Amino acid sequence: MKVNFRKYRFWFISIPVLITLLMLLPVRNAKINPDLMEYFPDEIEAKLNIEKIEETFGKNDPVIIIFEAGDILNNNTLERIQKINSAFLKTQKFTDVISLFESKYIRGEEGMMLVDPVIIKIPENEREREDVRSEIRNNPLVYKLLVSEDFKYTLMLVNPMENLSDNEIFEIINKVLSDHKGTERILLSGLPFLRYEIQQKAIRDLLILLPSGLIIMILFLYLSFREMRGVLLPFSVVLMSMISSMGIMPLLHYDLSIIAVLIPIMMIAIANNYGVHIVARYQELNALYPDWDMNRIVSEVMSLLKMPLILTALTTIIGLLGLAAQIMVPAKQMGLVSSAGIGLALLLSLYFIPSVMTGLKKGRIRKTFKGHKESVIDHFLMWAGKMATEKPYAVITGFLLVLIFLGTGISRLHVSINLEKMMPASHPLRISTNIANTNFGGTKYISVLFEGDILDPDLMHTMDNFETNLKKLPEVGNVSSLATVIKTISRALHDPGDKYYDVIPENRDAIAQYIEFYNMSGDPDDFEKIVDFNYTKAILNVQFKANDIKEFNKVASYIKDLISNSEYCTLMAGQSLMEKEMSESIVRGQINSLIFAVFAIALLLWIIFRSLTAGLLGTIPLLFALVCNFGLMGWTGFDLDIATSLLSSIAIGIGVDYIIHFFWRFKYDLKNGNNYKTAVINTLTTTGRGISINAFSVIIGFSVLLFSGLTILKTFGLLIIFSLLVCLLCALLLVPAICMIFKPEFLQK
Amino acid sequence: MKKIILSLIIMVLTYQLNLYSQDAREIAEKASDIIEFESMEMTSMLKIFDNKGNVRERKVVVATKKFGEATKTMIRFISPPDVKGTAMLIFDYEDKPDDMWIFLPSLRRTRRIVSSEKGKSFMGSEFTNADMSKPDLNDFTFKIVGSAEADNNECWKVESVCKDKTIEEENGFSKKIAFIGKNNYLTHKVEYYDPEGELHKIMTIGNYRKQSNGKYFAFLMKIENLHNQRKSSMIVEQFQLGSKLSEDNFSTISLEK
Repeated sequence: MKVNFRKYRFWFISIPVLITLLMLLPVRNAKINPDLMEYFPDEIEAKLNIEKIEETFGKNDPVIIIFEAGDILNNNTLERIQKINSAFLKTQKFTDVISLFESKYIRGEEGMMLVDPVIIKIPENEREREDVRSEIRNNPLVYKLLVSEDFKYTLMLVNPMENLSDNEIFEIINKVLSDHKGTERILLSGLPFLRYEIQQKAIRDLLILLPSGLIIMILFLYLSFREMRGVLLPFSVVLMSMISSMGIMPLLHYDLSIIAVLIPIMMIAIANNYGVHIVARYQELNALYPDWDMNRIVSEVMSLLKMPLILTALTTIIGLLGLAAQIMVPAKQMGLVSSAGIGLALLLSLYFIPSVMTGLKKGRIRKTFKGHKESVIDHFLMWAGKMATEKPYAVITGFLLVLIFLGTGISRLHVSINLEKMMPASHPLRISTNIANTNFGGTKYISVLFEGDILDPDLMHTMDNFETNLKKLPEVGNVSSLATVIKTISRALHDPGDKYYDVIPENRDAIAQYIEFYNMSGDPDDFEKIVDFNYTKAILNVQFKANDIKEFNKVASYIKDLISNSEYCTLMAGQSLMEKEMSESIVRGQINSLIFAVFAIALLLWIIFRSLTAGLLGTIPLLFALVCNFGLMGWTGFDLDIATSLLSSIAIGIGVDYIIHFFWRFKYDLKNGNNYKTAVINTLTTTGRGISINAFSVIIGFSVLLFSGLTILKTFGLLIIFSLLVCLLCALLLVPAICMIFKPEFLQK
Repeated sequence: MKKIILSLIIMVLTYQLNLYSQDAREIAEKASDIIEFESMEMTSMLKIFDNKGNVRERKVVVATKKFGEATKTMIRFISPPDVKGTAMLIFDYEDKPDDMWIFLPSLRRTRRIVSSEKGKSFMGSEFTNADMSKPDLNDFTFKIVGSAEADNNECWKVESVCKDKTIEEENGFSKKIAFIGKNNYLTHKVEYYDPEGELHKIMTIGNYRKQSNGKYFAFLMKIENLHNQRKSSMIVEQFQLGSKLSEDNFSTISLEK
């Protein structure tokens, strides 16, 4: 059916422009939500467990401030820490501050039990300093928890009030820290800091990368087509689909996740594909048939390209919709919104571009089409044609070798469980995580909830046994609970050698009285984080290190075993379990999306070309690209994470386009009576040019990600570029070679 | 002539100033005297509330008697069962730091408590140990800072400021403002300020009952911590003026009985 573009030109142009302008309104309300926990659907067990613990013990989401000095017990450092401590308390914006000046030291002295902050008075001379040092060494609630073994590092934890935004928190923290400058190095850590930094970097990325991407795309289009319409037509489609897709997000009440930064970049990369093919074909026909008018050219171009464009858009959308099957909210959003954006880009390319073109005068004729193949691309395409037609077996062998070589990397592929790796290695968060892992027993926490009569000696012994057993694992840095405190009190109440020294009492009244006794000297809220007011619920905290999911699972399943053997433990929860959940769902989601995408694309090809062979032949290059991608990740150590798990679906959705264009043109050429060899060379040198420009424009669109401030987006950019190059090479070399050898029927129909 | 008038003016002014601060201290002294009991026995219920409304209860029997220079107090827990039998003994001296001991029945052991811990919590409540004993007026400077109504009584607002940091630490506050009734010198309300000068706790005292010796005893004390929203209350269930107990009853040995 031929659409009369000239007749309906007005509508095809004005409606899209109007919608785009309207979409600018919701774009202003777009918000970035860096809270990784919100990326999970609410029903996840790990999330529910954390909420159960927070119900009783309040939100525990501290910012960790690390102080580094030659010896943190020196006067100046302690004074600075003390002043910063008071300053934080004074703001009244934190529920509590934990530091050497707040945490307690429980000990017995001259028949008395004393409970005081670890540092009551800043030591004034060497002797006093060494006294404090040995006190700290004897204090299991502080040594290696708040002060490192070598006394080079000490921590301060500040837990912000619930209603504060991350921006407000860091405004306050930065002000307090800058009001109290000193020689010690200060590093920040903690989940709020990660969120804050992600948000800052995501905003920066959007502000810098988007315009840069647009400018680069404009340059590229101009260099490729050397005329304004070649730039403006695809560019306007990109702009309109980008604005509309960004506008859909706030309309659907989606907060932008860090992944959402990819959506406009994807629009820049992909949405111009369709326009590029149209302009390329226009230039071709304009040169071949100088006597045709614009209307005729436009008509011909569209009738030839309509089907392949629709099909390629469909395959890309299928690849993206596969993401909607993932449970992580950002992946779902990305899938739905970018599919809509691509769909819109397609419609605009099919109706808006031709309508505009009919209003233009014919452009200059591009000389190169007349047979002077000068550019690098043209040389390569000629070479590819030669190789595929004259040495197809060599080509296939070459690809197989690459496949084997890269494919073995898959065994080395890791799934990331360290969220801080989103930041580059030089970022303070990475450095502080390393410090915490080396000096403080780790950055992963799991809390075990005990329910029942907490003062029951049997329960208390269970907690104590947990502690003893867990400490045997080398990955575990610290374990603490009320049992730790009871034993510390027993050491303060009895003398060494006494049978009650450093043990949990055997009867309940004794435990109750220990606590009552403590209450005379400590503060009423000293234990509110580890036991509830009426002693019915208590938490045991495990702090450990894990570099990958294997190490993590070792500790987590050990804890799980301990829990299942005890009637008192009801659940385990922690931030780190959410991270593990994220990793596992990334892997599951990856597999699901890919299976969906590969099958759907194969099916689509089968339907389009009415041949099973087409379906299979079309998926070979995709599978090849997938294996190469994962293999490369294994070899280079790039982890599979929330961003990189998305790229394979996207890559094959785009990559298959090159093959579809190839098949389409090849069939056309064969139909015109050419033999296989000629058809291959013709296809490569004509549509091949369009395919290459297409591929490069997508690659260049994604290349801005290489400048992102977030490591995961940089890696995404690198890997997707690699995948697309592989798909391109497959379409230009592997597929023609296979066609030469097997001469599949569907191409001849 | 001029000199005489000048010195007269200075004398009058200093006298007025003296009178002014004397007034504040005098009021504070009277307020302290009117509730001072050299000996008494009582049963009280201490209720400790957290910021969510959960409550912990402790029932205690208290006996106080003055022996020479020292006022000795014995506190025994009678409920709940897991702390029953726990006891505290306090020797309150006029001119030297107090002595305090606690007896834990499950251990059959007595331990001393550091006396400088007056600023610490009383049995895990928001009351401090200092609240439970008579303060040394020489530790503070006094000033009248206004008038206000508290519990339907016209009151002076008498501010007591700790004279130094040690006293601040011992008492757990930097200054307090007591609302002392103008007609009867009974303290109806006290505002406590933390070392940063922020209002930290508010204590309300009520249900004063006149005893046979002309002095008053408060049967109700409530305290609220504004920083963490925790509250505590002390309600006297039985009260008896005087104590028939001997000094032996106020010793560490009788603690363990």
